Amino acid sequence: MKQQHKFLVWLGLLFFALLAIPTHTSQAADNTFKVGMEAGYPPFNWTQTDSSNGAVQIQGSSSYAGGYDVQMAKKVAKSLGKKLVVVKTSWDGLAPALTSGKIDAIIAGMSPTPERRKTIDFSDTYYKSQLVIIVRKNGKYADATKLSDFKNAKLTGQLNTYHYTALNQIKGVIKEPAMKDFPSMRVALESGTIDGYVSEKPEGISVTRANPNVKMLEFSGTAGFHTNPADTDLAIGLRKNDPDKERINAALAKISAHERDQIMTTAVEQQPQSKSSGNWVIALLKQYGGMLASGTGITLLISMVGTIVGFIIGLLVGILRTIPRTGSKARRGLLRVMDWLLSVYIEVFRGTPMIVQAAVVYYGAAQAFGWNMNRLAAALVIVSVNTGAYLAEIMRGGIIAVDAGQFEAAHALGMTHLQTMNKIILPQAIRNSLPAVTNEFVINIKDTSVLSVISVSELFFQGSTIAGQNFQFFHTYLIISAIYLILTFTITRILRAIERHMAGPQNYNLMANQDQVSVPKVNSEVE
Amino acid sequence: MTNEKIITVEHLEKTFGDHRVLKDINLEVNHGEVLSIIGASGSGKSTLLRCINLLEHPTNGDIKFHQQSILTSDFDLTDYQAKVGMVFQSFNLFNNLNVLENCMIGQTTVLKRDPAQAKKVALEQLDKVAMSPYVNAKPAQLSGGQKQRVGIARAVSMNPEVLLFDEPTSALDPEMVDDVLDSMRALAHTGLTMILVTHEMAFARDISDHVVFMDQGVIAEEGSAEAIFTNPQKERTQTFLKRYLQGGMR
Ligand SMILES: Nc1ncnc2c1ncn2[C@@H]1O[C@H](COP(=O)(O)OP(=O)(O)OP(=O)(O)O)[C@@H](O)[C@H]1O
Ligand SMILES: [Mg+2]
Repeated sequence: MKQQHKFLVWLGLLFFALLAIPTHTSQAADNTFKVGMEAGYPPFNWTQTDSSNGAVQIQGSSSYAGGYDVQMAKKVAKSLGKKLVVVKTSWDGLAPALTSGKIDAIIAGMSPTPERRKTIDFSDTYYKSQLVIIVRKNGKYADATKLSDFKNAKLTGQLNTYHYTALNQIKGVIKEPAMKDFPSMRVALESGTIDGYVSEKPEGISVTRANPNVKMLEFSGTAGFHTNPADTDLAIGLRKNDPDKERINAALAKISAHERDQIMTTAVEQQPQSKSSGNWVIALLKQYGGMLASGTGITLLISMVGTIVGFIIGLLVGILRTIPRTGSKARRGLLRVMDWLLSVYIEVFRGTPMIVQAAVVYYGAAQAFGWNMNRLAAALVIVSVNTGAYLAEIMRGGIIAVDAGQFEAAHALGMTHLQTMNKIILPQAIRNSLPAVTNEFVINIKDTSVLSVISVSELFFQGSTIAGQNFQFFHTYLIISAIYLILTFTITRILRAIERHMAGPQNYNLMANQDQVSVPKVNSEVE
Repeated sequence: MTNEKIITVEHLEKTFGDHRVLKDINLEVNHGEVLSIIGASGSGKSTLLRCINLLEHPTNGDIKFHQQSILTSDFDLTDYQAKVGMVFQSFNLFNNLNVLENCMIGQTTVLKRDPAQAKKVALEQLDKVAMSPYVNAKPAQLSGGQKQRVGIARAVSMNPEVLLFDEPTSALDPEMVDDVLDSMRALAHTGLTMILVTHEMAFARDISDHVVFMDQGVIAEEGSAEAIFTNPQKERTQTFLKRYLQGGMR
């Protein structure tokens, strides 16, 4: 049983592999220095809407990345003689993106921890940091001066960081589950679900500047965290045996400590601030309208293409699976094998979450086979194939549900199986399955949000980016949900109208006699 | 009617699992002949008809069309099915097509007639069954009798050599039966070869040249309409007919 399961999984992976259209990476050949960062961790890196203050355009997006990391990346790229390309990547996606060759370096406020060194290499330090705790200004822990003051405090830190493991040094602390990113922790802090979170000084300065309700607590000497230089030092993540490592270190060595401080100070001052004047909706739309519109566009594009292509896949699979098992033994055997393969496809894609599929396809394909897909293309493939798996069963059911008499009548006229499917069965099956397709479309609009795991800049991803900048989490997500609602509502209505249209008129017109008399005319035209 | 054999059934057997539904059926249908098959429910009448146009594949025996076996692998099945039409008890009109399209689809896809020609033929046949005013209607918008007349027009539009009818009126309300029977009678008068499974004894007696009485998968008795209906030889035939004739023939 278990063996078979494993086999299924491998088969599924093979499917992914076959479906992903490979475009081979040529890491060495091109003259770009692709740097991955979250673009959501001010003042190290953030997203902004224009190129002011030396921001660099984010690959495949109309937004720009700014911050300390970007400035450092520019210097390094310059001394390498390469063109800097910023690739916006979620924190968890950084290491896989590096090892799979999607980026050449991680400059994202990352520390060279021993665990990370197992998979990737690091340059020399490019920033030295210090751990701090961010709390509410009017909260119970606002006046804490040492770690022991945090007994019974609900604290957290970012997932997969030493910030979070450092919590173990606080006796009696209530360790809340680690969170995905800083925006989430800021919301949690504001909403009171946590009392504070561990961060590094630059982020602390940023957040206190942006949000007057929070406070950064620094600790001196033994009152604070015991940290390892491997943790507090920030370094550039590189692939193992990167031939450019020495040149990168040389480039970093040229930037003095003083210069680094200056760059950090400037970054803290330049980080995006929320403009909070007048009506918040209008202000938000004015400032981030472009990002919201492009996010909406991407979401619509992915869900629409995904639904249409998925529908075609589902239809084809449904047709293949309903071919009658007649004829020669070889033909029947072939049909059985095909049917089995198709059911593996359906089981694998229906039985795994789309977020996992996205990660496997995007990072897995690159890591295992060296295939490098465009993020949007990967998203389109995943949503299409996923939708196809769901619709395949619906289409098969739709075909089976068509009365057997329809097949018989068509065969009695001499129509082939193909003609029968084409002209008689599929039109009915498709019409019957339209409500399910509409439903799948609506689900896709909402579910494309999981594609933020591969950093596709759809609506939810844009929303988190905006919230990460303006700290107006509630307002931003409220607007995002309104957009989702408008999308799903409109699309449902449009598809209902199409359904009604396909059902044809409710009444028919009786043909008057003149119409019948005109028939021979048709004939005379022909002859 | 000529003596040219169109359909010959030889030692036909049909088994579903271990249920022998047809046992050694032998039958000949000549050009222009109207053959009626009567018999109790479950005696295998529909199965015989469905074997003839290959909706069911015979288990044993042979079926010949113009003296040529239809069961050999090199036989042109599509052509045969186009030439042998069928009218179903449950109509089976194509639900996604309107009345006119129902009568055109076989012509355009199978016979490759051009649409104008197909439309002309379809309208002619619809006119004969008095359904031409309804060309735009979808099957769901028609009554049973109307559906069956469209079913007849659809089959005849293919210019078949033989037309099979499987209880064409038994799903109809009584007041609609006559319209359909009239259409069939008119067809019989054109000299079309017809094989008809029916429980309408008066009608069968009226239009049939030859009548076959089936019982438990075999042909128990056959002969001219006159012979079977007025002077049946076998006891089983007599009992069967008596049950139908008790209420008086319709
Ligand atoms: N596809 C099938 N699978 C199994 N048994 C079948 C199948 N089709 C028909 N039969 C059986 O074959 C026998 C004959 O059926 P058939 O439909 O030919 O009878 P019939 O003479 O047409 O009866 P009726 O007058 O009720 O229509 C019945 O016992 C029926 O159950
Ligand atoms: Mg029957």
